Amino acid sequence: MSLNYTAVGWNKQKKQYVKILWLGILAFLIVFAALQFLLHPNISVETLIIRWSAITAFILLHIILVIGPLCRLNDRYLPLLYNRRHLGVSMFLIAAIHGVFGTIQFHALGDVNPIVSIFTSNQNYLEISNFPFQILGFCALIIFFLMAISSHDFWLKNLSPKFWKAMHMLVYVAYGLIILHVATGALQYETHLIYWIILIAGFLLVASLHIVSGIKERGNLRKTYQLQEEGFYEVCSLSDLEENCGKSVFINAENIAIFKYNGKVSAVNNICKHQMGPIGEGKIIDDCITCPWHGYQYMPENGQSPPPFKEELSTYNVRLLKDKIWVNPSPLPEGTLVKAAKIDI
Amino acid sequence: MKKEKPFYVGWQEEMPKEHKSTVKKFIILIFIALPILAFSIIYAQRGFNNHQFELGKSTELTGIYHSSPVPVLEVLKTEMKPDLSNYVMLVGYGKLGAEGIMEDIEALKGDLDGKRVTLKGTMIYGDGKAVLELTKKTNSLITIHKDVIYPIVANKILSSNFDNVVGEIVDPKCYFGVMKPGEGKIHKSCATRCISGGIPPVFKTRNFQNENEYFILLGEKGEKINRQILDKIAEKVSISGRTEFLNGWNYLYINPETIKLIEE
Ligand code: HEM
Ligand code: FES
Repeated sequence: MSLNYTAVGWNKQKKQYVKILWLGILAFLIVFAALQFLLHPNISVETLIIRWSAITAFILLHIILVIGPLCRLNDRYLPLLYNRRHLGVSMFLIAAIHGVFGTIQFHALGDVNPIVSIFTSNQNYLEISNFPFQILGFCALIIFFLMAISSHDFWLKNLSPKFWKAMHMLVYVAYGLIILHVATGALQYETHLIYWIILIAGFLLVASLHIVSGIKERGNLRKTYQLQEEGFYEVCSLSDLEENCGKSVFINAENIAIFKYNGKVSAVNNICKHQMGPIGEGKIIDDCITCPWHGYQYMPENGQSPPPFKEELSTYNVRLLKDKIWVNPSPLPEGTLVKAAKIDI
Repeated sequence: MKKEKPFYVGWQEEMPKEHKSTVKKFIILIFIALPILAFSIIYAQRGFNNHQFELGKSTELTGIYHSSPVPVLEVLKTEMKPDLSNYVMLVGYGKLGAEGIMEDIEALKGDLDGKRVTLKGTMIYGDGKAVLELTKKTNSLITIHKDVIYPIVANKILSSNFDNVVGEIVDPKCYFGVMKPGEGKIHKSCATRCISGGIPPVFKTRNFQNENEYFILLGEKGEKINRQILDKIAEKVSISGRTEFLNGWNYLYINPETIKLIEE
């Protein structure tokens, strides 16, 4: 939706989200520091900060990465997704503490610039156990930085959702870099088996959730529809749709969302203009199709966001034959008014 | 009609109870997992030595300044803690050696070698060894005492066949207290910086009694080899050379090209 570069709105849920997040971060700091001083009283404060921030950021990164597939599998996790950018920005801030402390501790006050030192103090690029692991962390931190500063909808708008989405897919690259950063760095010194178990278990959790949710998604895409006359396809029965709810269908490479509301059926493109959320899993609120991810809204008959917003989705022709819904998958130009198919009662 | 499926978008004030309970369970699970995770990670850590760095605390030491082979201040035994050597190695602020600072001081005050001086700095110590960081750089010199010149104790040759001894090259500033851990892979880049910045490289190995032994590394003719060994730091290496004991420290004279990396 058309946004100026203004502060994000704060409702009760968002306040609670951020409160619980930082409460958790703080509680983890206290538990972590207490256990360190109890079990390893000789630890230095710098090492404590470096390790706490590293592990906290790494845990937050895992939470961020599992929320997406969890929501695809069960829409009750969606409240976690709505404010996920706060998780992302907090993760970046904590990772930055780690990166800055690490850079100061290991590279500052020497005979070369600290950033240069990150890249030159170890050049064993060909050995795994001696690999210059800090470079990997540095690159990941740059990615997190770009994602954090561009997390506001202002940038989403100005960079185009496709570009923005592509950039935010870099989080997977960063995740891979961090796994290697840990495997070729800390785990070459701290060699207890439990670290490898934790690292691999975390990776498997993230990977398996993505695979399972991907398979579920693929199942929807795989469904084939029988061609009928005049370019219309039979997609489902009226009774397959709940009132005010949608359904996603994939025909001829078109991703379409069909909605039933007020005795009518309409179809719009299934990809939200915000961050490509699945419109078909949304719901009609105040006569508008509402995206399940962040609540962008569109009018069902013309795919337009209610004024003053300017987003527009493609629309599709819909017909009803008895209780069967038929859709023509050729998209009409974005924002084209299409009379909804009326349900005869 | 069937009850509508609960739907919630973050900008709505009230969350349906179905969503609330799912989210709550997720959060509770995380809050249970976190302390368990923290405990396993911390419990399995290798742990840290008890070396000390008295950050923020300034100490004045008086003794004979020996400029070579590396800067050392020979302090009265009675002035040091009983378990610490009274030959205190001098290092610079940050990741730099003390030589630059001492040369700057000498340029202003004249030659200090063999003279009794009082220096101020930050103490670093562990495993019987003491190091003083000249935190205030050229302002670290407090007094030059005007008294007799003392003779230097003759070198003691330790052994002429120091042959393929296995150990690790560390930087003494971090290893003896500034960093935890101050050795190994995690610390490699820092040790590289310190040694590149002029802090004398120290070869750490184990003797027959399974105690640590430390040798300051120099070239075969006593020259600095900091630059030549940068790629051998914080690795398991084997070293051969000639050893000597001088000013409270063991020295090891080597040809840097003969340092062998040991694959693990
Ligand atoms: C400039 C960037 C970075 C530098 C210089 C850096 C440096 C280091 C160093 C020196 C260690 C070993 C510390 C120790 O165990 O005592 C480490 C470990 C670690 N780093 Fe980084 N890092 C950087 C970025 C990152 C980022 C962005 C993350 C993302 C979460 C990260 C996650 C970790 C983790 C999980 C560990 C293992 C836990 C630990 O040993 O502290 N690092 N890093
Ligand atoms: S993807 Fe954000 S509202 Fe649709």
